[in-house]
Amino acid sequence: MERVLRPAVLAEISRLAQLYAHPRSALLPALHAAQDQVGYLSEAAMTDVADALGLPVSEVASVATFYSMFHPGPVGRHQIRVCTNLSCYLNGCGEVLDRLCGLLGIRPGETTPDGRVTLEAVECLAACEEAPVMLVDADRHPRMTSAAVDDLLGRLD
Amino acid sequence: MVPALPLLTKYLGQPGREAIDAFLATGGYQAAAHALRDLQPDQIIAIVEASGLRGRGGAGFPTGRKWRLTPKREGDVRYLVVNADEGEPGTFKDRTLIEGDPHQVLEGMIITAYANQVHRAYIYLRGEFFLGYQRLSRALAEARDRGHVGRNILGSGFDLEIVIHRGAGSYICGEETALLESLEGRRGFPRLKPPYYPAVRGLYDQPTVLNNVETMAHIPHILSLGPDGYKASGPPILYSVSGHVTAPGVKELPIGTPLREIIFQHSGGLRPGRTFKALFPGGSSSALLTAEHLDTPADFEPLAKLGSMLGSSAIIVMDDSACIPAVIRRTVEFYRDESCGKCTPCREGTVWLAQILDRILAGAGRMEDLDLLDAIARNMTGTCFCPLGESVPPSLRTSLRYFRAEYEHHVRTGSCDLRPAAAAAQAPGPGGG
Amino acid sequence: MAEQKVQMVHLVIDGQPVAVPKGTTVWQAALQAGVEIPVFCYHDRMPPLGACRMCLVEIEKMPKLVTSCTQEAGEDMVVRTRTERVRQGQQAILEFLLINHPLDCPICDKGGECPLQDNTLKFGPGQSRFAETKRTFRKHIRMGPVLVLDRERCILCWRCTRFGEIIAGDDALKGFERGYHSQIASPFMEPVNSKFIGNTIAICPVGALTSATYRFRARPWDTRRVRSVCPHCGCGCATELDVRGEDLARTRAREHREVNDVWLCDKGFFGYEFVRSPDRLTVPLVRKNGELREVSWNRALAHVVAALRSTPPEGIGVIGGTRSTNEEDYLLLRLFRGIVGTNSIDFRVDTAHPQPAAAAPWGLDIPIADVERSDVIVLVGCDLTEEYPIIWLRVKKAVDGGARLIIANPWELEISRWASHSMTCRWGTEAVVLGALAGGESPESAAGFTGIDAGRLRSAADALRGAARPLVLVGRTALEQPGAADVLAALDGVRAARGNAAVGILRGRGNSGGAQMLGLLPDLLPGYRPLADAAARAALEAVWGRPIPSAPGRTVRGMLEAARAGAVGILYVVGADPATEYPDARAWEEARKGIRLLVVHDIFLTGTAAAADVVLPVLTYAEKTGTVGNIEGRVQRHDQALLGPGTARSDAEIFSLLAMRLGVPFGFASWEGVCAEIGRVVPGWSEEARLVPPRPAVRHPTADDGPAAKGAPAQGGAPTANGALTLLVGTRLFDRGTMALRCPGVRSQAGGPFVAIPPEDASRLGIEDGAVCEVRSSCGALCLPARVWAGLHPGHAYVPRGYESAPVTRLLDERGPVAVTIRPVGASA
Repeated sequence: MERVLRPAVLAEISRLAQLYAHPRSALLPALHAAQDQVGYLSEAAMTDVADALGLPVSEVASVATFYSMFHPGPVGRHQIRVCTNLSCYLNGCGEVLDRLCGLLGIRPGETTPDGRVTLEAVECLAACEEAPVMLVDADRHPRMTSAAVDDLLGRLD
Repeated sequence: MVPALPLLTKYLGQPGREAIDAFLATGGYQAAAHALRDLQPDQIIAIVEASGLRGRGGAGFPTGRKWRLTPKREGDVRYLVVNADEGEPGTFKDRTLIEGDPHQVLEGMIITAYANQVHRAYIYLRGEFFLGYQRLSRALAEARDRGHVGRNILGSGFDLEIVIHRGAGSYICGEETALLESLEGRRGFPRLKPPYYPAVRGLYDQPTVLNNVETMAHIPHILSLGPDGYKASGPPILYSVSGHVTAPGVKELPIGTPLREIIFQHSGGLRPGRTFKALFPGGSSSALLTAEHLDTPADFEPLAKLGSMLGSSAIIVMDDSACIPAVIRRTVEFYRDESCGKCTPCREGTVWLAQILDRILAGAGRMEDLDLLDAIARNMTGTCFCPLGESVPPSLRTSLRYFRAEYEHHVRTGSCDLRPAAAAAQAPGPGGG
Repeated sequence: MAEQKVQMVHLVIDGQPVAVPKGTTVWQAALQAGVEIPVFCYHDRMPPLGACRMCLVEIEKMPKLVTSCTQEAGEDMVVRTRTERVRQGQQAILEFLLINHPLDCPICDKGGECPLQDNTLKFGPGQSRFAETKRTFRKHIRMGPVLVLDRERCILCWRCTRFGEIIAGDDALKGFERGYHSQIASPFMEPVNSKFIGNTIAICPVGALTSATYRFRARPWDTRRVRSVCPHCGCGCATELDVRGEDLARTRAREHREVNDVWLCDKGFFGYEFVRSPDRLTVPLVRKNGELREVSWNRALAHVVAALRSTPPEGIGVIGGTRSTNEEDYLLLRLFRGIVGTNSIDFRVDTAHPQPAAAAPWGLDIPIADVERSDVIVLVGCDLTEEYPIIWLRVKKAVDGGARLIIANPWELEISRWASHSMTCRWGTEAVVLGALAGGESPESAAGFTGIDAGRLRSAADALRGAARPLVLVGRTALEQPGAADVLAALDGVRAARGNAAVGILRGRGNSGGAQMLGLLPDLLPGYRPLADAAARAALEAVWGRPIPSAPGRTVRGMLEAARAGAVGILYVVGADPATEYPDARAWEEARKGIRLLVVHDIFLTGTAAAADVVLPVLTYAEKTGTVGNIEGRVQRHDQALLGPGTARSDAEIFSLLAMRLGVPFGFASWEGVCAEIGRVVPGWSEEARLVPPRPAVRHPTADDGPAAKGAPAQGGAPTANGALTLLVGTRLFDRGTMALRCPGVRSQAGGPFVAIPPEDASRLGIEDGAVCEVRSSCGALCLPARVWAGLHPGHAYVPRGYESAPVTRLLDERGPVAVTIRPVGASA
């Protein structure tokens, strides 16, 4: 059968499965690995993960949709996650988010038409001392302001 | 001699602290070595019991007793699972510890695993903790290379494997049984308890010690100082202070420090010209407190007496610029979006509350909505499957009690009577933005 | 066995003292006390979930309301279910459940039998305070041919998803998303892939899951409920027929703890519409001038009687009996054994390799319910979910309870992920597999021959050795071959080695169990007594007042062979279709030419009926009352629900009329009279009795025995020279046979016929998935689309039986396995 996941990713999933008493425990890590390769969790990617872990694909899909970090469809080259929970809310994340929406021309949950950025409003990132805070891909940016947004977007490829 | 605080956060912020050599240079891993070399597992449990340490995940269950309750039958497979799925709004101490001093957490895990005769441990790490994952992974690799983790640790004959397991975006997975479900590769639906608690039937139905990150970080210090020395030092607790304070951050203070002191002495107080309005003493799941409560010690019992809780000791401070109905809507939206959907009151109650709050904030509220909000919250109280749904009513109901006038103003005028900086901004978020 | 002392706990529910065994939930205890507590998520065949929160009660000394479905009853507990606090809690939950429910009861199929509707009336708030916007979803989505999903009505009780996980193991419906976005669906909204989805419709507490076949057809209050038994696979699941006027509106499971519990497979659930098919035969047909013409019953019966009078008994054979009731089968015996005087009677139309009936009785030795108490289950040559789906549910339960499942089959079964050992073997090596599992054969020597890895065989044998309650199930795939005797001998070997092993020979359909019990076999009398038993014969003769010939009659194969030799004057076929079922179509056709008079009872013009001289229209199970016997030998009664079409008559009536015309009237006034007489000749006979065929004492292998008994390799499948593949024939639950074609809910799930080929053979032969191929054996050829199956043992091809458009029996040879050559015939797909 045609596989969408690369052999290295499938090998990584096999390795992950060894870390647990039951291979199905590796499902979340395996889905992370699959998403890291494909960019999102396509039906084919989930089928590969299901086969690799000996799970029904219905179970894999059901689990995947429970977790907000797994994307059901393609996302942008960069992901900007703006925390909108209490401390950030009290410290002006609304302005930050508005600024991002304005500059990118999209709303939270959307991807720019050029596929550059996916913008998300997310829940507490556990960095409330840096409020308002946001993640650009894996990097956390503390004490965001509109000016900082301008600067950051300017530097983003 | 009473050791001066800080203990857990002493080296946070020191450049390069996450490297094992920096950790070893300040006596790191000595408590673990001592435990494995000189102490019997049972002795360690007794020490931790004597220290009075209560779990720092929010429920405050005595750690030593939890370990004691974990069956130690010969031949049983036992697990240690460390809850690093920190997600309670306002809480950031665990992330800070993981990023700032990861070996301290690992050392606590080694001691805990040895005390409970566990040979396989999992750290359930929040998916969004990219930096934490990087640092913890590196620290684990270093610890393994130096013989602190793995087979026959430091020649003691004790084996321990630690696996870092990344979550994928779900607040409910911080609830211990949902965490176990998630760790087993399932949707994060909380498990039924009673009759079985994780200590007896946890991961793969095996006895499982489930502890919070901060709890782990306390352990080496308890062993180093002894239970009395540790208690005399405070005992310490990490308060996450944020919101409308000028010096937010993790504050390591003796447990029971009054709220006023935490806010005004240790967190820089309010911004100039602002007055205090309210606070959450234990994350957004706790009931609101107002200025009249500021002299309350931030400890389990005093806060419980006020109908609130210490929870994860996350203090979110609000000054007079905060629009309480908008804050509560943001809170309700959070629980609505993070509800797993398993049980009826949480799934349906949160969405109903959010709809009413939306209407009120949009200027279409009716006076009877205020009683309805309270009635819905009351109907959710004591009927939900797990603590998530039960976390909604406390702040909502106290906000209606303390700040009813603000709601009434919204209903009457269709707008906020505040002209604040931040709170007047349009409510962002998945449901409101 | 010593009765285990059950510890009882005593509690008080609404002032009423109740004593229940320790471990009982408060909800169950209340049920026992006659106190109704409303539930949605709780279903007593699954562990408590505690999700819907509907079953809240007040318990003294507990601060909060408690869900009674999850709370274990405790000693001296004081429970209250009708207090103001409880009422408020119940109203709160119902109000929550209703805020997003569309309340479209007038157009909902569940109306009138809807727990949400009922509980709202009994326990709900008078009115809702909800003034916001309800959640919307795309309405009534067809999830395949039989299931309709309406997510707006769903109250997310999780019963259906848990059914798929816990009961069926097919994970057909799952929860997706979370929180208030949660929804039930199949992955990627594809048609549900299940053989049990009807049960989710049955247990859905709202109208979220409804049946496409029942949709808008009736209301519960205008149907009659008639107790029935499923006519399909042989498990004899208890059912209930809902009849509206003269329409059979639907079939549902009737609770029977020992058989199907509360479940049904989808063939049972959706396979009822053939009963009211316009294609039913309504008038007798007699061949005249080469054509079947409608005639009166009088003419048709006179024709048959004349032939019966003029044909010597040894020239008369009878095939069938699996679609008749036990009482009808008994009359068949009295007619043909007692009056006509032939022992050539055989219901086993679908086998060319029959074993002496007394030596190898079909059926399950233990009750179906006891399957779930086995601790090691060996399944050899049986595609369980396709053939006997309801038994799978018991196996699944056993596996969930820790039992190990060992499967040996030429193709990987869909349940393989539940098996501790799932092994695919070369067809024809099942005897050796069993020998190795019994420990008589070394795994190493068996490995090369069977194609199963020695280590896995050894591990499986070890598992079986350690079993306290082993069960060995052998199916049609293992037995429908010349080596069947070796398989049975090997099964004896397992019984010898594992004295405690229960055995099941999973064969037969419909009322096969009853036909066997009554002795519709050439060498057996009613009550499983051998024909050779003179005393038994004499006892029966005394009841019948007629002599019974002592010489064994012919098997189906024997009859067809005799017919080809011109030795059969009358072949009398009762509800069977040898033209499509006998595993050698050419052999049947040749035999047909030699039969002077072919008489057929049937409901449709089957291949056999179309070739008959006399066709008598008969009634279905839904149109007559009587008993039937199932695979575990249980006698169950079904009642008449409908009148038959046209002039169709029951088999019983036809046999009675023939007997009368032959001058030996039976004299029964009703079916009960027949049933009572069976009670006189079959010891232990009664409704719900289990009459299990005595399995012969284990024969310990001796030096004189054949190779299989000693564990040496028996002959495997056919040689596969020149790239030919050994042809395997498999049963599919959903097929397109005579009855299924007339049940849209079954037919549409069947898909088309196909030939499955293992990947290595497919690539060697240059065959791609979906390519149309010619499949040719020495007997005939079929054109079929190819499916490349990874789980099929190399060297084999698989073709399903039960497709009228592609009768696989055309390829088969009654003498033994056939090799087929497969070649693509262009892209004409």
